[in-house]
Amino acid sequence: MKWITRERPKIDRIACPWLIQNFVDPAAEFLFVPPEQVLAQAAALPAIAYDIAGADYTHEGESCTFDYILKKHRLTDPALHQLARIVRGADTDRFELAPQAAGLWAISAGLSYNCADDHEQLAIGLKLYDALYSWARHVPAERHTWTPG
Amino acid sequence: MQWITRERPKIDRLACPWLILRFIDPAAEILYVPTAEVVPTAERTGAIPFDVPGVEFSHYGADCTFDYFLKKYALTDPALLAMAPIVRGADTDNHALAQQAAGLWAISAGLAHNITDDQQLLQQGRVLYDALYTWAEQLQGQPHTQQPEEQLLVQVYTAYLQRTQDKNAPPPAWTAQLRELIQDHLDTNLSLRLTEAADALQVNPSYLSREFARYFDDLSFGEYIRKLRIEKALQLLDTTAYSMGEIAYLTGFSDQSHFTRIFKQHTGQSPAAYRKKRPGR
Repeated sequence: MKWITRERPKIDRIACPWLIQNFVDPAAEFLFVPPEQVLAQAAALPAIAYDIAGADYTHEGESCTFDYILKKHRLTDPALHQLARIVRGADTDRFELAPQAAGLWAISAGLSYNCADDHEQLAIGLKLYDALYSWARHVPAERHTWTPG
Repeated sequence: MQWITRERPKIDRLACPWLILRFIDPAAEILYVPTAEVVPTAERTGAIPFDVPGVEFSHYGADCTFDYFLKKYALTDPALLAMAPIVRGADTDNHALAQQAAGLWAISAGLAHNITDDQQLLQQGRVLYDALYTWAEQLQGQPHTQQPEEQLLVQVYTAYLQRTQDKNAPPPAWTAQLRELIQDHLDTNLSLRLTEAADALQVNPSYLSREFARYFDDLSFGEYIRKLRIEKALQLLDTTAYSMGEIAYLTGFSDQSHFTRIFKQHTGQSPAAYRKKRPGR
């Protein structure tokens, strides 16, 4: 299935493709277009529009589109829910939601600025969320200290 | 030039190579080898060893190797100086140093878990630190919201709803954890600080500071800990023969006169006067 959203992604529009590709639709293809074309192209292609007002998959109250996908597809993996708080905090500028939100925002904002091409950014972003997911699943209790050897 | 360090890099051993390649030695070759081979290989080949004990480019006190590179090469770019506490915080497990440190640590730990080839990991790390540098240089302080006004409205509205329902709402999970944490510290000397507590509870320090009073007798974190210290002092005065200096130490006060002053503020009398008047003596 094709999934379509606004161009120049930062947080939610990178985190959602990662979630969709890994847990909802492994054959997903992602399109980024100017905001005013999203809904029209979604109808014409067809594609599923997300993270834009008026689409099925979008922000709901205080939650972001990532939260909505978890809810809609009944994804209960605790690591995904930990990720959701971090994404929501970074995406809605509420860094108090998770200690990792401010760092995710800084890195994502810089990445978006450095990448002129949305798909290049998506490719890097997918690895970033792979890393956060692995951290949430495998290493949250690990403390890093300087004890070489 | 060749630069050599320990294999399986996470923070400092990715941040330093990024710094070397971008600001110090663009033609640098970075080698990752087992810890025991770093210094012998460096001596044999002339590669510069870094981030191992006993070499010049290493940790000094609370500073990590990234800090030393900045100092050594007199790099004063404000964006690099803004990155330093983030790297140091993530590398030395002191996430209170910078708001971004916990996120950098989580992403770096996950990358190291996913990518077993150190050179590939370095490539990812360079993209990551390029992004962090751009943020530090251009985007600090720039807020991000989808629809800022809508977001603000939603926040105000939910905050309003929460206030009206709060009487029945159960307190958040961290309050129980914090009570336990404070209890543990009661048995040592109550030197718990807000930033340490926030770190242990995995919540943001400013959030903890703001919300604390709602669940802890309407007192600030500092006031609450002070109250517990005085209560412990009263108990020790009642039940032990410890000297004032010993009690001051056991209740976490830096010295006896400070203890006496705070005790008097809370109880209206000095600890010595209290002990004298104590019933049943």
